[in-house]
Amino acid sequence: MKLTRDQRSIIKSPLDGKTFLSGPAGCGKTTAGVGRLRALLTSGLPADSVLILTPQRTLQAPYERVLRGPETGPGGTVTLATVGGLARRMCDLFWPLAAEAAGFAHPGQPPVFLTLETAQYYMARIVRPLLDDGFFESVTIDRNRLYSQILDNLNKAAAVGFPHTEIGPRLDSAWYGDPAQRRVYADAQECATRFRQYCLEHNLLDFSLQLDIFWNLLWRAPECRGYLTRQYRHLIYDNVEEDIPVAHDFVMDWLREFQSALIIFDEDAGYRRFLGADPESALRLADLCETHAELTESFVASPEIQSLEIAFTEKILPRSPTPPLPLSSSLNALAFPPSETPTRFYPQMLDWVAGEIQRLTAEENVPPSEIVVLAPYLSDTLRFSLTNRLEERGIPWRSHRPSRSLRDEPASHCLLTLAALAHPGWNVRPAKFDAAYALLFAIDGMDLVRAQLLAEIVYRQRDFRLSTFDEIRPEVQERITFVFGQRYDRLRAWIEAYRQQPAPDPLDHFLRRLFGEALSQKGFGFHRNPDAARTAASLVESIQKFRVAMEPALADFRSLGDFGSLEIGKEYLAMLQDGVIAAQYVEAWQMEETDAVLLAPAHTFLMMNRPAKIQFWLDAGSGGWWERLFQPLTQPYVLSRAWTQREPGTLWTDADEVAANQQTLARLVTGLLRRCGERVYLGLSDLGESGFEQRGPLLKAIWKMQMENRNTDEQA
Amino acid sequence: MTDFTPRPAQSQILAYTGGKMGISAVPGSGKTHTLSALAAQVIRSGALADEQEVLIVTLVNSAVDNFSARIKEFLALPMPFGYRVRTLHGLAHDIVREKPSAAGLEDRFSIIDEREADFIRKEAANAWLQSHASNLNDYLLTDMDEGKRDWVRRQQLPDLVTNIAMAFIRSAKDNRLTPDKIRNLLDRSPAPLPLAAMGLEIYTDYQRALTYRGAVDFDDLIRLALDLLEHDTEFLERLRYRWPYILEDEAQDSSKLQEDILRLLAGPGGNWVRVGDPNQAIFETFTTASPQHLIDFVHEEGVQYRELPDSGRCQPSIISLANQLIEWVNREHPESEARDALTVPYIQATAPDDPQPNPPDNPDGVRLIGKKYAPEEEVEAVAKSVAKWLPEHQDSTVAILVPRNQRGVEVIEALKKRGIPFVELLGSTSSTRLASGRLGDVLACLADPQSAAKLSKAYLAWRRGGEEEAADGELHRQASGLLRKCAEVETFTAPHPGHEWLADIGSGDVPAEIVAELEEFQRIVRRWQGTTLLPIDQMILTLAQDLFTAPHDLALAHKLALVLRQAADDHSEWRLPELTGELGVIARNERRFLGFSEDDSGFDPSRHAGKVVVTTMHKAKGLEWDRVYLMSANNYDFPSAQPNDRYISERWFIRDGLNLEAETLAQLEALGTSSEFEWYAEGQATGQARLGYVRERLRLLYVGITRAKKELVITWNTGRTGEQTPAIPLVALQGWWEENKK
Repeated sequence: MKLTRDQRSIIKSPLDGKTFLSGPAGCGKTTAGVGRLRALLTSGLPADSVLILTPQRTLQAPYERVLRGPETGPGGTVTLATVGGLARRMCDLFWPLAAEAAGFAHPGQPPVFLTLETAQYYMARIVRPLLDDGFFESVTIDRNRLYSQILDNLNKAAAVGFPHTEIGPRLDSAWYGDPAQRRVYADAQECATRFRQYCLEHNLLDFSLQLDIFWNLLWRAPECRGYLTRQYRHLIYDNVEEDIPVAHDFVMDWLREFQSALIIFDEDAGYRRFLGADPESALRLADLCETHAELTESFVASPEIQSLEIAFTEKILPRSPTPPLPLSSSLNALAFPPSETPTRFYPQMLDWVAGEIQRLTAEENVPPSEIVVLAPYLSDTLRFSLTNRLEERGIPWRSHRPSRSLRDEPASHCLLTLAALAHPGWNVRPAKFDAAYALLFAIDGMDLVRAQLLAEIVYRQRDFRLSTFDEIRPEVQERITFVFGQRYDRLRAWIEAYRQQPAPDPLDHFLRRLFGEALSQKGFGFHRNPDAARTAASLVESIQKFRVAMEPALADFRSLGDFGSLEIGKEYLAMLQDGVIAAQYVEAWQMEETDAVLLAPAHTFLMMNRPAKIQFWLDAGSGGWWERLFQPLTQPYVLSRAWTQREPGTLWTDADEVAANQQTLARLVTGLLRRCGERVYLGLSDLGESGFEQRGPLLKAIWKMQMENRNTDEQA
Repeated sequence: MTDFTPRPAQSQILAYTGGKMGISAVPGSGKTHTLSALAAQVIRSGALADEQEVLIVTLVNSAVDNFSARIKEFLALPMPFGYRVRTLHGLAHDIVREKPSAAGLEDRFSIIDEREADFIRKEAANAWLQSHASNLNDYLLTDMDEGKRDWVRRQQLPDLVTNIAMAFIRSAKDNRLTPDKIRNLLDRSPAPLPLAAMGLEIYTDYQRALTYRGAVDFDDLIRLALDLLEHDTEFLERLRYRWPYILEDEAQDSSKLQEDILRLLAGPGGNWVRVGDPNQAIFETFTTASPQHLIDFVHEEGVQYRELPDSGRCQPSIISLANQLIEWVNREHPESEARDALTVPYIQATAPDDPQPNPPDNPDGVRLIGKKYAPEEEVEAVAKSVAKWLPEHQDSTVAILVPRNQRGVEVIEALKKRGIPFVELLGSTSSTRLASGRLGDVLACLADPQSAAKLSKAYLAWRRGGEEEAADGELHRQASGLLRKCAEVETFTAPHPGHEWLADIGSGDVPAEIVAELEEFQRIVRRWQGTTLLPIDQMILTLAQDLFTAPHDLALAHKLALVLRQAADDHSEWRLPELTGELGVIARNERRFLGFSEDDSGFDPSRHAGKVVVTTMHKAKGLEWDRVYLMSANNYDFPSAQPNDRYISERWFIRDGLNLEAETLAQLEALGTSSEFEWYAEGQATGQARLGYVRERLRLLYVGITRAKKELVITWNTGRTGEQTPAIPLVALQGWWEENKK
């Protein structure tokens, strides 16, 4: 790749200097960072002295590509990390140091690190009984969202750097609406406190505790600090604007000990504010770097897109006096459904989008990978509707996240129903309906009517009894057919034999056996179904991970009598069903598909940090481009570091909310356009997905531009 | 911009630049058009900043579309820039949706509609009756024997109590009284108020049921919007800035809360134009809606008053008849307290050079039939008349207007018998419900795949598209009949050698075309069965591809998929049968807003020339036909507060002719007063309710008459008991007409 002079000078800067590089998206900052990494690697210094930090793992992709290439030199490997990841590693390495100081009840025993899912699991265990005691009575909220918001509060306290006991009081002091809400904040605080206490008692470390311990204890301990400062001599820290204040504090503290550093700051970004990102805090790093570099020229956006960005920003955040704008040229970069295309209803808009993508790929030869379809929220329903249309037109697509949850997979449904049937001890009684579906899927060639007929006769929910095919009346046997009857009997015999085992296998082992010994055999549903086999493998893997994370802790709890006779398999089942465990997985073909149209929520696309020639913005009228998701238990602004600098007792008012929303929208639009090469297609329908007329601020900004353009035309 | 040459009265309104204005408009005076022109004018004048809008508030969804379309035409803009048209409920939804948290709601709060509300009320009312079996004894007629009393308790009281509950809850919400507040008042009440106590218990149950569902009803939505505006002054200021002009249509039906919300939004010196016709206020019973709000408004200090008296709709004879009704009511109505039911301005015909001139005068077009019909004879006579008229007037429009749905059903039966083409507009059908009903039939079949009856229903859902029988109805009827008899469904859906139902019937005497039809359905139903393992949203979207082609149906399916997916996520134990049940509930909840129903785009009579539209007088508001029949103009449907009048709300089994709904509301009202002179006295409210009803029915008659452009036929009947007499206003009009015609 050809580099500019500015980029080259950044890359070639001395090995003992620190550079703060800033500029808007799309002007080659990360390219310079990657070049710098190459330069470090080829300079002869040991690779393992290089640390690359990003706020999120997805942002490491460009650096990973280099490390997989031939440049990797001698001397170990470069470390790619997030501050959170580093914190976890240090907690693990220096556990004895931290355990006692942090107040863990069993410092002699190893720690258990919680993932987001396992943390939710424990939170659920703690909060559920409190709900019965009347906690959170005044909010109607999905339970999983409740748990995740309490965890989010803990994480924000750790990320911003205030004691977790201040969450409730902070939220409370900024609230000015209905007094009933105050009770909710107090409840949220109580749950957070109990969770933290519980973690300390059971050696559990969630993200917030890892970060807390690392920053407040380990980093201050010479052993840990010395280990890190000796190990790493060169730093590349990209997308600092998306990182949390405590991460900035930490790097600031460390920076002078590095030999060289390149800090990269994306202007006008900060898309992860809701997760604690703090661009203002990141700017503090600039003061500690002797060299300040700036890249300003976009490699991505066409001149029309660039003027569109200016026009948009003007409409969203008007500054006076408005500079004259070449609106017509910027509007050229915006495409609308033509007036003759019916777009009153949402699916009509999707038809237009799919048709337009087809036209672009077929007639304009745009590669599918250069097309992204973005929406403020991407519901499963929307995704299915759109991908169906793309598939009908033979257009490859991929999605921002693993597209399916194991919960939704017929194959995993079948396996887990059979697992429940094989473990009467769990006391999970599958409904007849589920038993029928399991038979429908498990027995090759089975149809819905016969599966139901069979299940209704042979399965007794009350005591898990599975009777044999022989016991059925002959005329019904005939209806079900003897072929299916035999297959059922084989499956039944396998389950019965398993039930006779003295002790149950761990669930993942059980499923491996069920699959290997029965379901993958001829006559069964997984025999000729590679997709189902893959799902089974993913399920087994997910359960195994869950078991590994939970087992040490659970063994301990059992001894403490906390959880009684707790079965990991049964717990997994319950958690999966409740949605506490999302257990999403990537379908193999999807990972392989690179030249494909990408579907993603707009914010997720921004965090992928990649450009695309063509962007489709769906639901342009939705308020979702603008307003924060209403989270009754938390508040990203009040729990930010900037808020702590306000007068105590400052209220979060309607005006604050509006201003913050406008900033968010402006940032989002800017970010998207800086990642757009040629054109933005607006997916507009009179009525939105839910049937209401939508006119959010993004749409109004678009209208304003159209109006202005029209007026200019008329005047001309 | 479209050509619009305003009449002088319209020009006066278009001269509006700001402040408060109240306008009295007669039927057909072009108020929607004028208001749309005014909105367009404000927008074009440059008075609005970019983020500001003219807010137009109207009564029903069909009017929303109508307004939007006209303003769009005036402005010749591709997008609705600078204005927003909403029903009051739509506006309340917009307001609450912006700050659900402040209203104590979650992001995805749901709204239940009248049907669901009615269901909950019924449950609550029945529960109350179960546990308070004897509480209403004191109100029953004393001379009934025990057997009859018992029958009344079982057969009559549930409906009555449900109706009372509806009136009570609505009124409580209109007055912003929560169950708690009422309980406090009741505890302090100096005398027992048993009806209010009953209302309170049912209201409490009802609210609990809503909370359990995480839902609000339409009345709550309005109440919450008002609460928000009152408590969050910054938010109110923001909305005031956003909507510097408020134009309100159909203001005669404005409720107290609607007025409060708009008054707050307009602010003290704000710009608020209210248009209405007090003579067309026909939605008032047991609500706080009243034409008096509008009448009082125009008398407020600083309010400019205008009239829109010219109407090009009716031919002059019909205009005189309508004006005569006003005059007669004002001067001669036998009940002096009802004389304010109708008010001037009189309707004036348009000037000869008007772009919308009145149809030529034709006194023969007005026929007030004095003949005494039994109810079924009246239906027959009207059917016969329309059968004779229709063939010669294929390009004209005609409607039969009845006071009540049930009467409409009888008319339709008579039309069907004579093979007269008709369009039913009675509120019992809606394309939304048709579509979700079809989807529901297919889901029910998949939830219970062994049922031949459900398979047969699913077949019809697929084939008939929910329409009335089409030309190939016979084929479909036969095919579905055969399916219903398929004893072992699997031999049809997944045949095995030797068990092939289709082959069996094919070798019998079933015609080949039916076998072919069933083969096609077999393929379809197999595909459907394949979807049962998918998540519910994907299942619905896949089924919808086979069931629907109309865009609004597909859009509805998308929405249902979205909402059912949410329901399935919230209730992981739910399977197809539960989700099928939920589909019914959800489908009913979405109708009050702009949405997926074709009906919402408004009913256009001109699209149904050559067919007879059968509808109620209430539903006919805002519509017009060349020829109109008004039925049942007797003293039961149009009473005049005379001793022999009977009232629909006074049940025969209640003592002293008490109207228990009215008495209950009076008890509720008494709770709010401290004056002993305003304290509850039994029977007073019944009398007041009679008067209210008399007034409203006079306005309904006026609305009915003014629907007719060229011809009007009014008939009456003697009622079920044979005792009813012609309505006094009808008799008065007849006398005047005969006199005048001479």
